[in-house]
Amino acid sequence: MIPHYYQHFCPVKILSGHNAVSNIPYEMDILGCRRAMVVTDKGVVDAGLINLVREAFADSDKEIACVFDEAPPDSSNRLVNKLAKLFEKEKCDCFLAVGGGSALDTAKGANIVISEGTDDILSLQGNEIIKKALLPMIAVPTTSGTGSEVTKVAVIYNEEKNVKMAFVSDRLYPRVAVLDSRMTMTVPPKLTAATGMDALTHAMEAYTCLQKNPIDDVFARAAIELIRKYLVRAVENGRDEEARLGMANASLLAGIAFSNSMVGMIHALAHACGGVCHVPHGMANAILLPHGLEYNISGIPRYIAELSGMLGGSIEYMEEKEQAMVTVSLVKNLLGRVSRISGLPVRLRDAGVTEDKLPAIASAAINDGAMAFNPVEVSYDEALEVLKKAY
Amino acid sequence: MDSVLNRTVARIRSLPGFPDFQAGVKHVLCSTVLSVLGPAFEVVGRHVPEFRKEIESWEEGRRFSLGVLPKGPAITLEKRGNTIHYLGKGLRSPHITMSFKNYDSALLVLMSVMGSHQAFAENRILVEGDLAKTMEINRVVNIVNANLLPGMVVKKVLKGPPKMTLKNYVNKGKVYAGLVPAVVRHLI
Repeated sequence: MIPHYYQHFCPVKILSGHNAVSNIPYEMDILGCRRAMVVTDKGVVDAGLINLVREAFADSDKEIACVFDEAPPDSSNRLVNKLAKLFEKEKCDCFLAVGGGSALDTAKGANIVISEGTDDILSLQGNEIIKKALLPMIAVPTTSGTGSEVTKVAVIYNEEKNVKMAFVSDRLYPRVAVLDSRMTMTVPPKLTAATGMDALTHAMEAYTCLQKNPIDDVFARAAIELIRKYLVRAVENGRDEEARLGMANASLLAGIAFSNSMVGMIHALAHACGGVCHVPHGMANAILLPHGLEYNISGIPRYIAELSGMLGGSIEYMEEKEQAMVTVSLVKNLLGRVSRISGLPVRLRDAGVTEDKLPAIASAAINDGAMAFNPVEVSYDEALEVLKKAY
Repeated sequence: MDSVLNRTVARIRSLPGFPDFQAGVKHVLCSTVLSVLGPAFEVVGRHVPEFRKEIESWEEGRRFSLGVLPKGPAITLEKRGNTIHYLGKGLRSPHITMSFKNYDSALLVLMSVMGSHQAFAENRILVEGDLAKTMEINRVVNIVNANLLPGMVVKKVLKGPPKMTLKNYVNKGKVYAGLVPAVVRHLI
């Protein structure tokens, strides 16, 4: 069905290849930049990935002015202010974010502070509030799941008010996304499985949520097909270059899809699991995906049924609801398979959630922004019911 | 017949000053519906327990506005005690601002052609402020709609229309009875 109105926007140049990082200095030249501020975390530095980036600059007239390796799991307003000051002190002219979602969010947050000339980032939360053009940012993801390299969202933790602030703006898209298979080689199997299932959740929710549209459907389909082909391979053998690059592409495609189509109840519940019980985002999505899909069958059986074909299931002779249950079963099979290889939990109780926390999670989930885009209404009681099933 | 109608519409549209006239009509329509919607929050708050339960956890003094960009009409509301007060037209230092991008988008929602969730999904509403609190406000807007609009329209614009019990019908009747006096009170 064609929606009577939708929007699609993705201004990110994409470089994908086994040595794609080598092209960063050239891209900086195109962007008119000379001194890059690398934003990353200690894990990425310890894994030796920043050395790969440094090597790319060795024969170039562009330079890495500074490496900021303090990006925490949840980026904070204090940290982005600190980074913004460092950026100006070092006379940098672009951000080079190397890492997972938090490193990219930290760079996006500092970019907002610098470009808007404020140290009160809180005043800019909301959607499309940022009015000034941001400085160029090049994103090099080191996990295949968040899709942050092609999304227009940044989440920054407000330390004073103890809340997460969401910033949504078309200006937050990085200018270049660099997918290099070497950058994800060192990710352990469990994290590979969790982030891969995260990407699958992005694609499936983008394909089934209220902002679903023909352009993002194409990206979501392509992402799901790549995940079907490469996720198990990447979890089984982290050194499989083709699988790693395939998953990096799947994550990016899913990122483009959900940045425009948005996500729904599965993400809302996963965000709440993270907030209340500190369950890693990818892990929470992986556990909740089949349950969320099953819940939504009542409203959109056809879209969920269509997903089964992308996961390799038969698409013939079945009623929509029956076929949709095939999708749920295929997702459970995939989750079970990567879980057996990597030890990824398949139940919330195994992911650090205790039963007494379920009401608090349900309460937080119904206030999550993602819930607005879910195709079926979810009340507190219904959210709690889904959580109990996943528990 | 259709072609005659289309030709007539095309002629009207080509009249000098038509775009300004049309914008003026849209402004009046939006302004009028918002003038009813503001007091409706107060009336629904008085008669519908779900409404009061929903705002129970809100911080005292939360102010939010609904309006139309760039310079269209707007209303501001505030949580006080166990209900929401209509502060009147215009932006009055709201903590959260929900603005339709243009009159066409506003009219789709205000004339109940489309639900607010669909308007969010179609990027028709801009939000300034805390997005989690916006979700809470959106749920309250849905409760107001459910108690203000006829059943058929409610089914169309809400993702999860409430099941109507005898008590709900009684509450809806009280809302209808109280709405006109509330609107008049704010007008004078």
